[in-house]
Amino acid sequence: MKRTRSSRSKKPSRQFFNWRSLSGWALKLGLVGLVVLAGFSIYLDAIVQEKFSGKRWMVPAKVYARPLELFTGLKLSKDDFLTELDALGYRREKAIQGPGDVSVAGSSVELDTRGFQFYEGEEPPRSIKVSFSGDFVSGLSSKDGSELAVARLEPLMIGGIYPAHNEDRILVKLDQVPPALINGLVSVEDREFWDHHGVSLKSIGRAAWINITTGQLRQGGSTLTQQLVKNFYLTSERSLTRKLTEALMAVLLELHYDKNEILQAYLNEVFLGQDGTRAIHGFGLASQYFFSQPLSELKLHQVALLVGMVKGPSYYNPRRYPERALARRNLVIDLMAEQGAVTKEDAEAAKQRPLGISKAGSLTNSSYPAFIDLVKRQLQQDYREEDLTGEGLRIFTSFDPILQLKAETAMTEALKRLDGRKGVENIEAAMVVTNPETGEVQALLGGRDPRFAGYNRALDAVRQVGSIIKPAVYLTALERPSQYTLTTFIKDEPFSVKTGDGQIWRPQNYERNAHGTVFLYQGLAHSYNLSTARLGLDLGVPEVLKTVERLGVSRSLPPYPSTLLGAGALTPIEVATMYQTLANGGFNTPLRSIRSVLASDGEPLKRYPFQIQQRFDPGAIYLTQYAMQRVMREGTARSVYNQLPSSLNLAGKTGTTNDSRDSWFSGFSQDLLAVVWLGRDDNGKTPLTGATGALQVWTGFMKRAKPTSLDLPLPDNIVQAWVNPATGQGTDPNCPGAVQMPYIQGSEPPPGLACGGQNPSDSVMDWVRGWLN
Amino acid sequence: MTKAVWAALAATVILAGCATPQQGAIPVVDSSTPVSNQELTRNGGRMPTNAPPPMAAQAPQPQDGGVTVMVPGDNPAPIQTFAAAPATAPISTGPITIGPSAGAPAAQGYDSYSAPQPVPSAPTGIPSGRSNTLSADEQLDGPLLALLTTAQQQQGGGDLNGASSSLERAMRIAPREPQVLYRLAEVRLAQGDAAQAEQLARRGLTYANGRPALQASLWELIAQSRERQGDAAGAATARQRAKVGA
Repeated sequence: MKRTRSSRSKKPSRQFFNWRSLSGWALKLGLVGLVVLAGFSIYLDAIVQEKFSGKRWMVPAKVYARPLELFTGLKLSKDDFLTELDALGYRREKAIQGPGDVSVAGSSVELDTRGFQFYEGEEPPRSIKVSFSGDFVSGLSSKDGSELAVARLEPLMIGGIYPAHNEDRILVKLDQVPPALINGLVSVEDREFWDHHGVSLKSIGRAAWINITTGQLRQGGSTLTQQLVKNFYLTSERSLTRKLTEALMAVLLELHYDKNEILQAYLNEVFLGQDGTRAIHGFGLASQYFFSQPLSELKLHQVALLVGMVKGPSYYNPRRYPERALARRNLVIDLMAEQGAVTKEDAEAAKQRPLGISKAGSLTNSSYPAFIDLVKRQLQQDYREEDLTGEGLRIFTSFDPILQLKAETAMTEALKRLDGRKGVENIEAAMVVTNPETGEVQALLGGRDPRFAGYNRALDAVRQVGSIIKPAVYLTALERPSQYTLTTFIKDEPFSVKTGDGQIWRPQNYERNAHGTVFLYQGLAHSYNLSTARLGLDLGVPEVLKTVERLGVSRSLPPYPSTLLGAGALTPIEVATMYQTLANGGFNTPLRSIRSVLASDGEPLKRYPFQIQQRFDPGAIYLTQYAMQRVMREGTARSVYNQLPSSLNLAGKTGTTNDSRDSWFSGFSQDLLAVVWLGRDDNGKTPLTGATGALQVWTGFMKRAKPTSLDLPLPDNIVQAWVNPATGQGTDPNCPGAVQMPYIQGSEPPPGLACGGQNPSDSVMDWVRGWLN
Repeated sequence: MTKAVWAALAATVILAGCATPQQGAIPVVDSSTPVSNQELTRNGGRMPTNAPPPMAAQAPQPQDGGVTVMVPGDNPAPIQTFAAAPATAPISTGPITIGPSAGAPAAQGYDSYSAPQPVPSAPTGIPSGRSNTLSADEQLDGPLLALLTTAQQQQGGGDLNGASSSLERAMRIAPREPQVLYRLAEVRLAQGDAAQAEQLARRGLTYANGRPALQASLWELIAQSRERQGDAAGAATARQRAKVGA
């Protein structure tokens, strides 16, 4: 304008015209520009407000493990307890100062829990002391010494249901953010934050000055508001237009919302790392991802690291470039001290601390892919995909990280021991662990590599079950006490039968021999094919299949005689369902992995209640379990007692299919049921039987999990009778070799006379010896 | 030029100002709230040590057909405990642990695995007998009393889902305690699921050997469930058992 005016004074007439035309031009242009700018501003303003006032983020559903429930008498070792606390990011301290601190002294552990919102109510944060004695909790008290009946830890987050774009975050509110984080952020990224109106010329100037004088790119000129606008609304394109749009939007944002609102949005939006295909957004998730701790518990050195990472999350990734990250962290601490945000002493102390990063993958999506897969499938029956990936639902499951760890270790070690046998290297695996009394799935392996998120064999591998099916045959028989008891003689002799399609079926025993006449329970204990097939045919194949269905298997099996010996195929989890009913006194429980679902604000949404249905007479189940205990004591699975104490009652069944293509074991104690399958994906031959393969994994697991001995309450209709072990006839308890057997009332043999002093025959001694093994 | 810029800015500000929905109110709906451990606690800093209060001796009973067996003191007759028998009586037709451990007489020489080694104070089962003279109800463990009390309060306040959830929590601690199953069956009945109520009560019966009062209550509950399901004959049978038991 000045220039124009001075030129006008030089050459008035001509310039006047020019000025007029020029100013007219400028006016018109200005007006047009104004209109365009105004329109653009209104447009931007609408964008700014629309996105900021609505739901700002899609938050994937979070999946939680079961909370550890503490009470006196709980079966839990101190080591397992500390494992859980480590996973939850508790810090071992000498003295407890706040939530997340734990101190260990001898056999007792003191800690401050964090509190959590559960379906049925809130668990407050507490100061508690847990005492251990052996593998049990021997005392639980609060800080003041008063006894505590029960306390829950917060549950471990084990994964999420992620959408395609894979942005994940844990939203935080400003009052949960450590003040040091905000001070640090303002100190490092935007010193004028509390004073500017979206853009800060002063900051740009100073940043330029610092960068020029130090020769380093120490500061950028963008305000936090601009950074938020850039991340929130704009692409990463670098151009002047975009920069101007960014500035305009920043001003608009500041016009509508106050500083705290903007800061809170920034804290939740900022990108802080990449975990596989999952983008870590916001300080809340970053805190969990890098330190396994809630943001509110972070100390200065941790906060400074996160603040430092804002500038370059990949470049300063503390797991990949710890030295770089450390230098950056200390720089942040120095900057904070320079500006008086922390004292010099605190700064020096913080700089001496190590990075303190938790182990990678401790809460990644890939930690427990098989279980998360199971949860997801169940959720998809009840929720839309977009609700799962965007609504921030909280899913509470029955997953037990301690049992999962034990299952993984048992699998790895057993396979390592088997390694070297020809054909073992191609073997895949699956494992299902449930609580037989509640029907909850506690651990799941979908393959031999527990981290591999792919083919979930536990749910999807439909494999021939072999002798795993046999308890259904014997249960069918034992439901008819007038015809069959445990000591009914059955024939184990070769036979052939014409099947429906005119073919001849000729079953064989595994060792290709015959055993003559055996007690019914021995047929199961030793997994004799001939006697089992004979028994099954006498009962009728459809009758046995009905039993399988009543046990909870919904997949239909082929109605052929060979199905009696396991020619039909099931998945490991279906086998678990079937054994669940056997273990739980004949009450069927649909297997569950989810307990409840809460909305993001903690409001209860849905419960998956415990449901049972009585399918069998408890007496018949009692007898079947007795025979299945014989499998462990004297039968095909007796090798378990090489590793487990003989005082432990267990029940189970091995399964091996033709040419050892599948190696199965399924069995249970009072409180644990586990199904293990080993085999090749291409259904090729393996060198493993049920006993030499799957049983080894199972035994290793049970050894670690320390199950409670099986102790089925005696049903009303069961009586114990003394019998002669050779004849199955009733006998006097004082007779040599007399054994007690359970019978359904009325089916027991009549009581025998006192013995005439005859010596037990050799066969009896053999039988007793077999019993001892 | 400056004028134009100022004008434009002014216009922008005015227009933007006009676009502001309400004066003074921030139109932010924080529809997705935090998920991390800490913030779920609604009373953040508070550090109470309150376990649910120990069950008062006269805790209020749910109004359900006058079934009252659960409260200590309410049922003073000593009830034989179930778990006391097996370990000590090898030759017995009473409750005997399945399998070789209890069945094999120690004197016969093949008892290498017969000595039952009950896991110390195993909490998962029926409370192992501290004393035979205590009533079974008095033997309820601390956590069970606490959770049953919580459930009762929730049920009293009309929160049946919460009560159900608390009872399942108790069931995970002691899956074989018939009183928990009894309570759960009661809540299911109140929720209108008579079929599940009956099933849970039946499950409870399988664990209630030697506790006639509790058996009678469970049968009574089965009778009510069957009535709800329109099974009058079944209900009558169950009611008969309830009388016999009591």
